[in-house]
Amino acid sequence: MSEKNFIKKALTDTVLTRRSFLKWSAALGGTAALAGGLKFGLKAAQAAAQAPDSGQWIPVACWHNCGGRCLNVALVKDGVVVRQKTDDTHPDSPDFHQQRGCARGRSQRHHVFGADRIKYPMKRKNWAPGGGNKELRGVDEWVRISWDEALNDIASELKRIKETYGNKSLFLPQFASSRLLSAYGGATASYGVTSDGSWLQVQSQMASNLYTPNDRLDYRKSKLVVLWASNPIWSSGGSPTYNYLQAKKAGAKFIFVDPFLNDSTQVLADEWIPVRPSTDTALLLGMAYHMIANNLHDQAFLDQYTLGFDAAHMPSGADPKENFKDYVLGTYDNTPKTPEWASEICGTPPDVIRSFAQEIATTKPMVFQSSSSVARISFGQQFCQAFLTVGWMTGNVGIPGGAVTHSYHSGASYGGAPLVTPGGNGLPAVINPLFPGGGAYGGYGFAAPEKPGSYAMAFEEMWDAVLNGEYTAMQGLKSEAKANGKIPCDLRLMYFIRASSGANALNQSAGIPKGIKAFRKVDFVVTSDIVLSTVSKYADIVLPATTPWEQDLGGFLTGNPEMILWYNQVTEPLYEARTGQWIETELAKRLGIDPNTIYPISMEQQAFNSLVGAKVIKEDGSGYEPLVTITTDDIKALGVNGKPQQGRISFQDLKTKGVYQVKRYPGDPYGFISGQAFRNDPVANPLKTASGKLEIHCQALSDKIAAYGLSTVPPVAQYRKPVEGYEDTFADWDKKIKGDYPFQLVTIHYGRRSHSVFDNIGQLRRAFPQELMMNALDAKALGIQSDDTVLVSSRWGKVVRHVYVSDRVVPGVVLLGEGAWAEMDESLGIDKAGATNTLNGTHPTGQGEEPWNSCNVQVVKWTGAPLEYDYKWPHRVPIHDSTDVRSDEWHLEPDIITPLKGA
Amino acid sequence: MNIREWALIAFTILTQMSVGSLLVLWLAHYYVNRKVGMKEADRLSDYALLSLVVMFGLAMVASLFHLGNPLNAPRAVTHLATSWLSREILGSVIFGFLVLVLGVMQWRKIGSFSLRNVIAWIAIIAGLALVFIESRVYMLPTEPSWNTLATPVTFYTTALLLGSLAMGVAFVANYAYLQKKDPQSSKVQAELVRDSLRGIAVASVVLLGIEFVAIPIYVAYLSVGNAASLTSATLMIGPFGVVFALRLILAFIGAGIFGLFLYQSARSVGEEKTLGYLAYSAFVLVLVAEILGRFLFYATQVRVGI
Amino acid sequence: MAKQLAFHFDSSACGDCKACQVACQDKNSLPPQMMWRRVFQYGGGNWSPENDIPGLFRASGVFSYSVSTACMHCQDPICLKVCPAEAISKRDDGVVLIDQSKCVGCRYCEWACPYGAPVFDETRGVMTKCTFCEDLLAQGQNPACVDACPVRALAFGELDKLRKQYGNVDAVEPLPSDEYTHPSIVITPNRHSQLSGTGTGTIQNLPEEV
Ligand SMILES: Nc1nc2c(c(=O)[nH]1)N[C@H]1C(S)=C(S)[C@@H](COP(=O)(O)OP(=O)(O)OC[C@H]3O[C@@H](n4cnc5c(=O)[nH]c(N)nc54)[C@H](O)[C@@H]3O)O[C@H]1N2
Ligand SMILES: Nc1nc2c(c(=O)[nH]1)N[C@H]1C(S)=C(S)[C@@H](COP(=O)(O)OP(=O)(O)OC[C@H]3O[C@@H](n4cnc5c(=O)[nH]c(N)nc54)[C@H](O)[C@@H]3O)O[C@H]1N2
Ligand code: SF4
Ligand code: SF4
Ligand code: SF4
Ligand code: SF4
Ligand code: SF4
Ligand SMILES: [Mo]
Repeated sequence: MSEKNFIKKALTDTVLTRRSFLKWSAALGGTAALAGGLKFGLKAAQAAAQAPDSGQWIPVACWHNCGGRCLNVALVKDGVVVRQKTDDTHPDSPDFHQQRGCARGRSQRHHVFGADRIKYPMKRKNWAPGGGNKELRGVDEWVRISWDEALNDIASELKRIKETYGNKSLFLPQFASSRLLSAYGGATASYGVTSDGSWLQVQSQMASNLYTPNDRLDYRKSKLVVLWASNPIWSSGGSPTYNYLQAKKAGAKFIFVDPFLNDSTQVLADEWIPVRPSTDTALLLGMAYHMIANNLHDQAFLDQYTLGFDAAHMPSGADPKENFKDYVLGTYDNTPKTPEWASEICGTPPDVIRSFAQEIATTKPMVFQSSSSVARISFGQQFCQAFLTVGWMTGNVGIPGGAVTHSYHSGASYGGAPLVTPGGNGLPAVINPLFPGGGAYGGYGFAAPEKPGSYAMAFEEMWDAVLNGEYTAMQGLKSEAKANGKIPCDLRLMYFIRASSGANALNQSAGIPKGIKAFRKVDFVVTSDIVLSTVSKYADIVLPATTPWEQDLGGFLTGNPEMILWYNQVTEPLYEARTGQWIETELAKRLGIDPNTIYPISMEQQAFNSLVGAKVIKEDGSGYEPLVTITTDDIKALGVNGKPQQGRISFQDLKTKGVYQVKRYPGDPYGFISGQAFRNDPVANPLKTASGKLEIHCQALSDKIAAYGLSTVPPVAQYRKPVEGYEDTFADWDKKIKGDYPFQLVTIHYGRRSHSVFDNIGQLRRAFPQELMMNALDAKALGIQSDDTVLVSSRWGKVVRHVYVSDRVVPGVVLLGEGAWAEMDESLGIDKAGATNTLNGTHPTGQGEEPWNSCNVQVVKWTGAPLEYDYKWPHRVPIHDSTDVRSDEWHLEPDIITPLKGA
Repeated sequence: MNIREWALIAFTILTQMSVGSLLVLWLAHYYVNRKVGMKEADRLSDYALLSLVVMFGLAMVASLFHLGNPLNAPRAVTHLATSWLSREILGSVIFGFLVLVLGVMQWRKIGSFSLRNVIAWIAIIAGLALVFIESRVYMLPTEPSWNTLATPVTFYTTALLLGSLAMGVAFVANYAYLQKKDPQSSKVQAELVRDSLRGIAVASVVLLGIEFVAIPIYVAYLSVGNAASLTSATLMIGPFGVVFALRLILAFIGAGIFGLFLYQSARSVGEEKTLGYLAYSAFVLVLVAEILGRFLFYATQVRVGI
Repeated sequence: MAKQLAFHFDSSACGDCKACQVACQDKNSLPPQMMWRRVFQYGGGNWSPENDIPGLFRASGVFSYSVSTACMHCQDPICLKVCPAEAISKRDDGVVLIDQSKCVGCRYCEWACPYGAPVFDETRGVMTKCTFCEDLLAQGQNPACVDACPVRALAFGELDKLRKQYGNVDAVEPLPSDEYTHPSIVITPNRHSQLSGTGTGTIQNLPEEV
């Protein structure tokens, strides 16, 4: 902070407020005055304090894609939720633990009852059929309209575009899917992988189903647990960290491999192996070299259970020279992948690589586990190949206390089939004729690129497809492709009417600046939403959606395999909110489609069906039995069709508890060892790979990836320089001269949010300030101190953020939480919220996975006015309406975000 | 810095100035009384005393602005057993009451002079005690930059320095007023003013000397303390260095240079006008310096802990 | 004093998830500006260039750990001593409470408390702080923050008993020395924890985050 600013701050700020050492210690920066005009309701606070338990506790949904699934319970008084709590339905123990939620779940009531809820159907003031003034998308004024007007406009645009340009001009971007559009002749779709990075095809081709961890309680038998690229405390909400802690208490050593000494390490890590992002393959190869050179690998295991490790054990038809061992030793390419070779790339010192390799090779049983972030890089397959290969070299497969596994999200620390499951909802599948294999998630993990008739592009190609009118043809569509291998397209309508959550594609897919251009090009964008998230901000018509807190009968939520959650309604739909089913039904009527073809049964009946079909493991583990007891009274009260049945828990109990959890204890009959049968008898129990074995050399993988047409991968793990990886931070690699974008960016899944969800919650903004994390040496070289505002630029976009300087980050690496609500300053072209996809470029690769963690950036000190902490920003309220604030405890001025003052 | 903290600056400076003023005023009164009699002494000091009552009244008003919940203000004297803040408030009330009583009695010439004299000295002692209590308010174990001898020392120097110069201004203003009313009768007063200003000038130079010894020792002391006090010292000479320097320079010019001039001019007859300007300027400069000093006192405070 | 309630905080389990902090805000309907429970992260370490390989740095002793703090319901509460309005009291069970109806809003307790526990309510002009969820305690329930922790790092009980069970540590960085107030806190240190006054690290949070 400059002297002038400092004095100004000192003169205007609250000098005496908590002027503790801390306040000054960061950067000798001042404290800031509390935001004026708090709307915070004392009434609510006092009332809650006086009579905390009058009112009713109701189990409610926390329904986001957050990596956890926990019991959340709301205290409802006079229709308003005044407080929340988490699982206290049974006494807590490490074996039979409560399903405790996180800071985000605790904030759910601020989300549902926020002043920024979308309340009415709205359209952009300057929208007209065909688009109107398209440039104003994202900056236009919002106008309230009636449901009738909204539905008529949407229906007529759907009709006009279908009739004029054909169904292929209707577009379902990342995660968008629609039963209505499927029934209306289909739409061009998108496919790819967000969460799993490059894992999906690699694990299924190389290992078939053999990549899951063992049962939770089995981790306690481990001597060593390697958590590669894992931060469960943030990205696996609920109990995984607690579960790992039990393994640690039972004696397991934990090693973390990460560019960031993340928050989970302070609970678990005995050792931290720092590594540069997107270079882990080199690290693994260096470890393999050490193991091979010192004969530390489990040759007997490799010989019996795998193919491709050495020339003597190659799949039939493969070139023997293509074996892994000779690649590592450099037999044919004259480059031995020594720890020294690896170190230059991955930044882990050679002696550390050796001792790490030594340790994993000699400690048994060991869990060798990786999450997905590390595979969300360009050419990410190579990491997955190398990880499985090195893991298998230790032989920790199919044994108690061991595992070579890809596990993360809500699966972290849990293995084995679910012990309790919901039944199906009874809705028939409605297939998109233009993307028949797409599935409910609109192309997530799409596995059949060879199939003809799949009009879909990789997520990373969406905005270019809109802007340039073509996309890469998968193998099955090659015959329809132009000479350049592309399918022509004319995408005119983007459809985001959602059955529930998901699909904030503009914010959550790479290349936001390009995406905004694409949004401003098409004729029509429609969304249904609960807040003005980025897709909605740039849309033409936004429809108010209900949350699960407003759903009549409630429903099931699933997460870890040992429990199931039931949520209930706490309030009638707020304002004019409607369900996705209602919206699509109304549109169907207007489009001349019989609604019964897409939604033949009511939502209540769907919920009821899943109740009836819910199953729980039998006490002796021998199979499953019905979970819920349903009486004729229940059926009558619900007004649904069905028969009474006997189960483990009454519907009434399930509703009031909100959770059914299978009681676990060491030695119970529900244990699971991944791959035990294969390990015991590989001949009798072959894997579903091409050879029946674990395939270190896997031609099927190579072929599969080639079929997507985006990039290629050798059949065996090799290191190739990723696009925007470490090497690309250099202008001259040999002389080690840095280029224009000298830093590597990791876009971490962040504690504040579930992706973009919850980014509007003040208390979470305060707790997690969306800071750019940077190493102290780098900061020093740039003259940057903690709390300074910095400008982060990539080849693709720019953001400003506060910087957090720490030794916990590897030098040359910066981290920023993904999912912030992009807040573009149009005049400067800077996103002041720090959405990582403003920085991430679009690089179509592999099976359409998104390489967010290979990205190069530059960081400089921001010379304009310092950024204000975003917990003080006003809310994104599209239409001001003085009469509609339901809860008196909303606390930030409802207003639009203030513009950034330029440099 | 918001109104609440400016209120504290105003309150502490005004109370301390009032205490110092009363002491200076009453000493001058005593001295003049001995030299030329009660009438001239009263003529010299009655308006000044009035200004002092107003000054302290302002201090009390300022104190209310510091409170988040002024409606409860009367409660603030309930915890005399352990709270120095309670004691400060009670002390202020007592001192204020005494000054008011003295003011009214002196103005209306109620009671004998010896009675008023006794009340005045009680008020002065109460005032000096108040300055001590005020310093104790800040001497918290968790506030290392406050919890030093420097706090009472600076509070007393502020009281005496500002008190002296304020009374200098009051006397000069009073003289101008008297001269306007009756140019003849002010001859005696002119001399009295000159005499008092000489004393005041000497006092301000001496007090400045004390300040200039105390401040460096204070900063040095902070910089060898714990993390919190070290941070205070760093703030004082680092980010707030400009303010710190300005404060010292202004005090030096005001109390030192102008003080010397004041002394010089007050020795010769007929320079009342210059004397007036000098007195005003010295007071304004030192007042600004003391406000800056007090601002620094709060702004560089760093509590131990989190 | 017959009894002194206290928190137990297990720093070896705490992952800095801030569920406790937000649960407290939720329980007490506090706006983002007010936090009665705050989670501090403390860390440090070093990186030095490895001269034989260009661009290579070696980490040494890089660490972090967290401390979840609220009012310590001190045995010798300085807040209570300095309050001019007798608005702060200590109950028989050791819980220290502020009575807002008596508070004059002078913020003196805030100056004095080395734990930053008193939090000024700008709208009402009075001081607030952690109440130990006394309303929940009265109903035989646990404080909201305790029940929120997903790794069970927070507990509460009688100070003497907790001390017997978990030891005497009550001051690790970045907390101040216990000399000022004798806080009623029992800390199970993290393996990286540094005792107050011996710290080699810094607070890892941005200033406005805590
Ligand atoms: N740079 C970068 N980008 C990433 C990642 C990364 O690591 N780095 N991670 C990626 C990953 S793994 C994923 S899974 C994706 C997630 O990408 P998305 O699924 O697109 O992201 P969400 O933020 O979960 O989207 C939720 C949307 O649903 C809306 N919504 C929430 N509840 C409801 C509801 O009840 N009804 C309706 N109608 N709408 C609702 C929200 O307002 C929001 O618009 O993000 C990806 N993006
Ligand atoms: N709070 C929160 N939790 C979430 C989500 C969320 O949005 N918010 N999203 C959920 C979803 S949908 C998903 S897919 C999962 C994702 O969960 P994960 O795949 O586990 O993803 P991250 O949290 O991004 O990264 C985990 C760790 O990997 C490290 N890492 C990143 N790149 C590399 C690399 O190249 N090499 C190595 N060795 N380490 C690396 C990061 O520093 C971080 O510590 O999270 C889920 N959980
Ligand atoms: S982990 Fe996910 S489901 Fe659990 S409380 Fe947090 S946001 Fe909700
Ligand atoms: S922590 Fe602070 S507010 Fe709480 S009792 Fe101790 S001194 Fe008082
Ligand atoms: S702010 Fe209130 S509670 Fe704190 S010291 Fe002042 S009167 Fe007492
Ligand atoms: S005991 Fe209650 S008031 Fe105190 S920190 Fe915990 S939740 Fe907040
Ligand atoms: S909830 Fe538990 S783990 Fe999370 S920050 Fe608080 S004490 Fe630490
Ligand atoms: Mo994901």
